[in-house]
Amino acid sequence: MHYRLADGVNLEVISSSKFKLNQILINFATPQTVSNATSRHLLANLLETSTNKYPTQTALATQLAKQYGTDISVGVSRLGQLHCVRLKASFVNDQLAQTDLFNQAVTMIKEVLFNPLATAGQFDGPTFDRQATNLKATIKGYYDDKQFWAARRLLDLYYQDGAVMQVPSFGRAQEVDQLTPASVYQAYQDMLSNDRVDILFLGDTAEQVVKDAFTSLPFTGRTRTSLPIMYQQAGYRQVQRQVDYRPVSQAKLNVAYQLPTCQDKQQYYTSLVFNDLFGGSPYSKLYLNIREKASLAYYASSRLLPFNGLLTIQAGVNSVTAHRVEKMIGEQLVAIQQGQFTDDQLTEVKRGLINQYRSGNDLAGSILGRRLTNRLLNFPDHDGAELIAAVTKDQVVQVAKTLTKQAVYLLSGEI
Amino acid sequence: MNKQFYQEFNRLVYRETLANGLQVQLLPMAGFNKTYAIMTTNFGSIDNHFIPYQATEPVQVPDGVAHFLEHKLFEKEDHDAFDLFGKLGADSNAFTSFTQTSYLFSTTSRLKENLAILLDFVQDPYFTIQTVQKEQGIIGQEIQMYDDDPNWRLYLGMLGNLYPHDPMHIDIAGTVDSISQITPAILMTCYQTFYQPSNMSLLVAGNLEPAAVMEWVKENQAQKQFAAQVPPRRLFELHDPSGQDVIPFRSLTMNVSRPKIMVGLRGIKQFPVGRDRLRYKLAIDLLLDMLFDDTSDNYLRLYDQGVIDDSFGYNLDMARSFYFAYFSTNTDQLERFADEVMAILENADQELDRAADRFNGIKRAELGRLIGLLDSPEALGNRYGGDLFDHANLMDEIKTLQAIELTDLHSAAHDFINPQGMSVYQIVPHHQ
Repeated sequence: MHYRLADGVNLEVISSSKFKLNQILINFATPQTVSNATSRHLLANLLETSTNKYPTQTALATQLAKQYGTDISVGVSRLGQLHCVRLKASFVNDQLAQTDLFNQAVTMIKEVLFNPLATAGQFDGPTFDRQATNLKATIKGYYDDKQFWAARRLLDLYYQDGAVMQVPSFGRAQEVDQLTPASVYQAYQDMLSNDRVDILFLGDTAEQVVKDAFTSLPFTGRTRTSLPIMYQQAGYRQVQRQVDYRPVSQAKLNVAYQLPTCQDKQQYYTSLVFNDLFGGSPYSKLYLNIREKASLAYYASSRLLPFNGLLTIQAGVNSVTAHRVEKMIGEQLVAIQQGQFTDDQLTEVKRGLINQYRSGNDLAGSILGRRLTNRLLNFPDHDGAELIAAVTKDQVVQVAKTLTKQAVYLLSGEI
Repeated sequence: MNKQFYQEFNRLVYRETLANGLQVQLLPMAGFNKTYAIMTTNFGSIDNHFIPYQATEPVQVPDGVAHFLEHKLFEKEDHDAFDLFGKLGADSNAFTSFTQTSYLFSTTSRLKENLAILLDFVQDPYFTIQTVQKEQGIIGQEIQMYDDDPNWRLYLGMLGNLYPHDPMHIDIAGTVDSISQITPAILMTCYQTFYQPSNMSLLVAGNLEPAAVMEWVKENQAQKQFAAQVPPRRLFELHDPSGQDVIPFRSLTMNVSRPKIMVGLRGIKQFPVGRDRLRYKLAIDLLLDMLFDDTSDNYLRLYDQGVIDDSFGYNLDMARSFYFAYFSTNTDQLERFADEVMAILENADQELDRAADRFNGIKRAELGRLIGLLDSPEALGNRYGGDLFDHANLMDEIKTLQAIELTDLHSAAHDFINPQGMSVYQIVPHHQ
């Protein structure tokens, strides 16, 4: 059941007795700018670390441990060009815990969101410094993973200079030093009063109890009720290329293709089916032909960013065969464009996606995540399995024909 | 078929050992769409020295053979089992650890067909020179990929310190050199010795009808001929059971942005009875939480002084015939981290006394975490330790945990913590 608690503040209650753990998801959404990602990431880390009432990590964690290890985490993510701060909570259902854990969990969420460790418009100094240092280290640490590094370099190459999308959702290490306890507090106030808020609950607590509990959170009305999500940029006339040389034993080849953003749910599932056939599954053209048949890569897969108009390919290869692999990737796409795949292959890929979709209904986090995405995109609730089953060969060919190669990045071993 | 009702969790479990020795456990989950099945043999990377089935002389097989066999078992004369699952839309996979190899699938439809595929491909080996050669290329790439992963290098480096003369210190996948020595005959020798049904288990969890599933499995097994069952004769022995051979320190230079460090602690005392072992393991889990989790004073102090950050983690790994704990972080204060962790461990008794009021919270948090795993068919399947814990499932584990008291933590600390078993491994960036 859906409720509007205030303008731009939504509550969705999904009743289910299937799970031993209940789940809450609270999403704060705002358009990403060139500067807000780093500051909101630090904000998320500060919120989950401590509060006025529980001023150290230890104090907060000790309280949550007593509540049967109620887990509250705050993180950042992105949907299209929407920057999201997400609070997730999970806790044992009241029947198993034999106590009122639901209300205790909501009390803690209220504490985390509305009573942070801050005074006079500033976050606590020592906590801020520690979290700032850690955030910088965390972001730098991501790049130790060379697959991750190469994937990021491809996005830098693909997204146009100055585009907000060049800034990762988790921010940039070099921007952390410019943040202050006061500037992040401003970001906090902006988020609390202006972001669109979606609260979702899944579990076995009575609906009225859930509604009453969340109505008691002091959210006020706001104007950011419906937000632009889709990102698309003008295509490059020439493929952007870059090669870096580093001491890696396996080279990483990454390729970006542009395609139209998914405007409705059927287009979304059609693109998913295409992606799984191309490189998104172990039954895909890339996996079967480049890894299995030609033994030219340990991994070769594609990833669809349906609301960014982007499909990326990543392959672990030998530096000397990288060019050959890039050529093969292009050939696999042409094959799909020419309809060179059997009905059996298509059915197989669709069955796999349907299996994944139905399996997702066994995961509380995935049920809530899908529901949230539908709400933000204004997609009506639907059975994804049916829509996947309805995708035709011709539709897949049409999607394949919309792809244009835009950027190629190679992290090469030192030859 | 033995049936047990776990009232507290409203879950039923069905168990049966089939005529051929295969142990079957079924865990239905009401309301779930997915079914997860996992078939496991007690054969892993450390089982490289044994007397083959119906032979008298021991053999030493190349490192990485269990993992290699796992890859090869999917491939048949005219098809790949992976594709059979794929055609039905099911996900399938396999993994090899130090002591086990597991084959699994998950599906939301056509369970009977998927189960038959699993049982049939695992019980029908097909190895040829051509397919073995091709696999040597693929696994060689896989080994190289792991070589670039600093966290894996840190973990493997620690195993090299803790067990320098035992097979645990070698990558589960072997080395490019060792796998080049693998032949179809070696694979078949391993298969005949360790893939006997009596050395294997099948666990199915999630959406399932117990009587029907048990019937399908029995029907499938009844159609096959199995040779006489002989328990595998492993010749594994720790090089030095007293742990005197632990290397106290090693350092590696690698392309990382910040230094990484791991402190390891090798356990010496062995517990012959499975359920005692489980109780001991859970007690150590709680002990480590008491000393190091994010509700502890130690954690806060080290965090606030920048000795650890959010990358800090610790774990206890336990397998047939060995176990060890490890503590790792990214840090610029390498020596300080090592000194602090070792001092806290050595003072465990006093630390436990000081933290006594946190025991109930920590135990409750761990209970909550395990209860949460009951929502996952995969967790139910993967946490099943088989012989190691006398066939305890997740519900048995939760019940065991419920009975653990603070005094158990003191005894576990006495049994586990020994300065001789401690070791440090670190990875530093090139420029330092």
